[in-house]
Amino acid sequence: MLLIHCPYCDEDRAEVEFVYGGEAHIARPLDPSALDDTQWESYLYLRRNPRGRHHERWRHTYGCGRFFNAVRDTVSDVIETTYKAGEARR
Amino acid sequence: MIEITPLAVSAADLVVGTAPVSGHDVRLSLAPAAARYSLRARDPATLAGVIGRALPTRIGDMQGGIACLGPDEYYALLPAGERVPDGAGLPVSVVDVSDRALGFVVEGTGAAAAIATGCPLDLDRFAVGRATRTLFETVEIILLREDTTRFRIEVWRSFAPWLWHALVAAIADR
Ligand SMILES: [Zn+2]
Repeated sequence: MLLIHCPYCDEDRAEVEFVYGGEAHIARPLDPSALDDTQWESYLYLRRNPRGRHHERWRHTYGCGRFFNAVRDTVSDVIETTYKAGEARR
Repeated sequence: MIEITPLAVSAADLVVGTAPVSGHDVRLSLAPAAARYSLRARDPATLAGVIGRALPTRIGDMQGGIACLGPDEYYALLPAGERVPDGAGLPVSVVDVSDRALGFVVEGTGAAAAIATGCPLDLDRFAVGRATRTLFETVEIILLREDTTRFRIEVWRSFAPWLWHALVAAIADR
């Protein structure tokens, strides 16, 4: 069982309380109608899928209910750090 | 040897007819009816002003029957029939959810161990006066530690019969 540090609860909590939310720091385009199909496809579907450090969203669904960001190594599965939504990329 | 009373399935029967189960240093019983409110607000001061009560400031703390579940979310457990102003027109959400959940009381020196059979929290570090949303197996609960050996579990009605039986099984297996 992985323990994940929730930056809102400020506690290590069991992975089963969390839900994974995909890659972090993807901003929705402010004016979608100004985008062509390729740009829109890129926003909707294309993700970096790195080997190693990955910035991703998690939600403490069965806890405080908040979305936050985590940096997880996709090889070792070690979560390097977690931080509140809206904070700068680490 | 524990006597296991069959659990009534209808909501009405659950409220009035569920006999406590005791055994292996644990006693499981249904909590009396309560007023429950789901409280949300970005600004706690505004919410505290609306309801006329102080709010706990740290996530997981309880104060005056109100638990802080998240950065902008509180859960109030008050005596049955107690009303809370709704703050109409203000940026707060005060919702009466009294009939959404049932309360179970799990008490005795074996209470923590019985809960730990299905709950991933580290109960050794879950101090008296703390409260949090968490899981029992796959069912969402709110767990409140009222005393060293007394917990209260708030669970949505439709999950209550399953959770009751799961806890009875946990007690029986101890
Ligand atoms: Zn949390």
